[in-house]
Amino acid sequence: MSDTDARTAHLLLTHEVAEFLYREAELLDERRYDEWLALLADDLRYWMPMRRNVKFGEEGREFTREGQDIAWFDEGKDTLTRRVRQIQTGIHWAEEPVSRISHLVTNVHLVEATPSAAEAREVTARCRFLIYRNRVETETDILVGKREDVLRRPNDSEGGDGWQIARRKIILDQNVLLSKNLTFFF
Amino acid sequence: MSDPINIRALMPGTQITLTDGAVAEIVSNPADGVWVFARYLDSPRDPALVGQEEMIFAQDVVAAAPPK
Amino acid sequence: MATANSSAYRPGLVDMKTGQISREIFVNEQIYAEEQEKIFARAWLFIGHESQIPNPGDYAAARMGEEAVILCRDRTGEVHVFLNSCRHRGMKVCRYDEGNTMVFTCPYHGWSYGTDGRLVGVPFFREAYHSQLDRAQWGLVEVAQLARYKGSVWATWDPAAPPFLEYLGAASGFLDLQLDGWDGRGGQAEVLGGVQKWLIPCNWKFPAENFSGDTYHNISHRSVDLAGIGPSGSGRRDMSELLAGRKLHVCLPDRGHQTILYLSPPDDTPRPAYQNTPLVAEYFRHCEEERRRRLGDKARLLGAPGEIFPNTALLSRQPRTMAAWHPKSPHETEVWRWFFVDKDAPSEVKNFLRDYYIRYSGPGGMTEQDDMENWNYAHAASRGTIARRHPYTYEQGIGTAVENFEWQGMRVPGRVVDITDVRSSEEPARNLYRRWAEFMQADSWDELMTWRKNARAAAE
Repeated sequence: MSDTDARTAHLLLTHEVAEFLYREAELLDERRYDEWLALLADDLRYWMPMRRNVKFGEEGREFTREGQDIAWFDEGKDTLTRRVRQIQTGIHWAEEPVSRISHLVTNVHLVEATPSAAEAREVTARCRFLIYRNRVETETDILVGKREDVLRRPNDSEGGDGWQIARRKIILDQNVLLSKNLTFFF
Repeated sequence: MSDPINIRALMPGTQITLTDGAVAEIVSNPADGVWVFARYLDSPRDPALVGQEEMIFAQDVVAAAPPK
Repeated sequence: MATANSSAYRPGLVDMKTGQISREIFVNEQIYAEEQEKIFARAWLFIGHESQIPNPGDYAAARMGEEAVILCRDRTGEVHVFLNSCRHRGMKVCRYDEGNTMVFTCPYHGWSYGTDGRLVGVPFFREAYHSQLDRAQWGLVEVAQLARYKGSVWATWDPAAPPFLEYLGAASGFLDLQLDGWDGRGGQAEVLGGVQKWLIPCNWKFPAENFSGDTYHNISHRSVDLAGIGPSGSGRRDMSELLAGRKLHVCLPDRGHQTILYLSPPDDTPRPAYQNTPLVAEYFRHCEEERRRRLGDKARLLGAPGEIFPNTALLSRQPRTMAAWHPKSPHETEVWRWFFVDKDAPSEVKNFLRDYYIRYSGPGGMTEQDDMENWNYAHAASRGTIARRHPYTYEQGIGTAVENFEWQGMRVPGRVVDITDVRSSEEPARNLYRRWAEFMQADSWDELMTWRKNARAAAE
């Protein structure tokens, strides 16, 4: 493959992945939760560590460890499904009335594409997010951070790009959480 | 006037020269960039300090030679 | 000598006869300011757990009331709690959440303190201070008393406060449920890495009251019951082990501690719970057996939400967590939450519990989220001029608590309400606020230690 072809494949794949992430954000913002759940691989891991203030040189202590320590989230598709079901009861008071949310997804770039950009079946993508959450009258939260997603395309499905989210690591840029709750999805 | 030295990452065994001409060897470093614990090797102003371990303040350090 | 009197503090504010409590106690700036002096400067407060600072030189950020403190272990292994503020000009001497250090150094003028709090480094001591500064006077401010109970660390600024065990009274039993091993061995708990810290827009007493034993608010959590996050895949908790016997409110009026407790029948067999995987189910079944063997009759008591006065919440089972409700202002609280497992539990069990804990509690916790929503807007709706004229009612079950409660051979201390059949009472909240008003009124600890007076009177 020529250099131009490789660069073109990379560009197209980056665009495709970004479009996927924007469409995912759209589903969440529109509260189309069941359609969103369908984008999650069955073996999804969804992890948002907590962050510590640490001394220069002790960066290894900054994040709580996946699978070992407490986190804000460290769960799979089953728990995420239950969160959706909870909202859908209509009596999850923390989301009743429902929040108004916009997910801004930006800085999307590819870290890795397997086996290649041209024929990618699995992609690691990073981005930045800004989640704006406004609820009831004036209650407003702005949460900003980084995401690293592993997307998988299990097979060539009809009518769609078939990407699924296999792994999501969410790095929120906060220490003490400034929101009273995390009733929404990152 | 010498350039300021960042004492934060100086290793034990480093020889430091102080503003009063004394020379000391770092024993331990709390890595705060403000203090090191060092043993005096040479102390013209107060020879009784030789062999003593003291806390040395960053502003008193004018030179540092890495451990051999 | 005056005795603590809950009705003397701003008469009418806390009325134990009618069970009505003014909204002012939650929203009033002056009352909040008085709380910092009368309660947080005098009571025993929860600092953290020794498993956060296992080695000499280890430290962790902590909080007492509004104030930042440092929990640390010095070079000799002794545990200390210091005000996190340089004695010279106040800068925080530690801005990290945890670590290991030889000294705490202030970046403003360079003063440096050992892990035992002593002032060890003063720049230009010989020159600028002419060697005159009495360093022994200027160490980090240390708490007046510190206590370690089965790994939990508590402290008070008040030298006149009673020793911690005396402060607890029978509530040491509540702490035992929290910190002892699931199999009944003493003090087996360790903290899972990472203390959750987050801000909630309400007065600290909303969560304090809730955890004291609000058995009336299950409708808040109906959505999570429906979503089914419980350890065996349904509901919020595995209820079979809890519903076998009596559900009690246990209140210690002279201490201000209270809790929900479950009291199983004697010779009750372990109920299926924690059915997540065969290994996990078997582990807990084995622990329950061992617990009964070790503790005998005492194993009949199972823990549930409770509160150590003023602001430490306990929950020893489902999930196993402690919280501190740190006041920031009348209208804002910073919650710190610790989660516990037995230190020698298999990793599969720790992982199972960890999963359950963080989907249950905390800001990502599907149960706690609904509590916080209610506290948030209850507080907000209580700030107005008109709202403040209308007290809350805490009259549920008033006058129904009994002393010397006993059921099928088991005696339970304190004033107890058996809520098995009546479903709920508000005795725990009354108990909390009665004690709160006593603290706000009392000039000294002498007035607050009524049990000592009663003991003297009984001896005479």
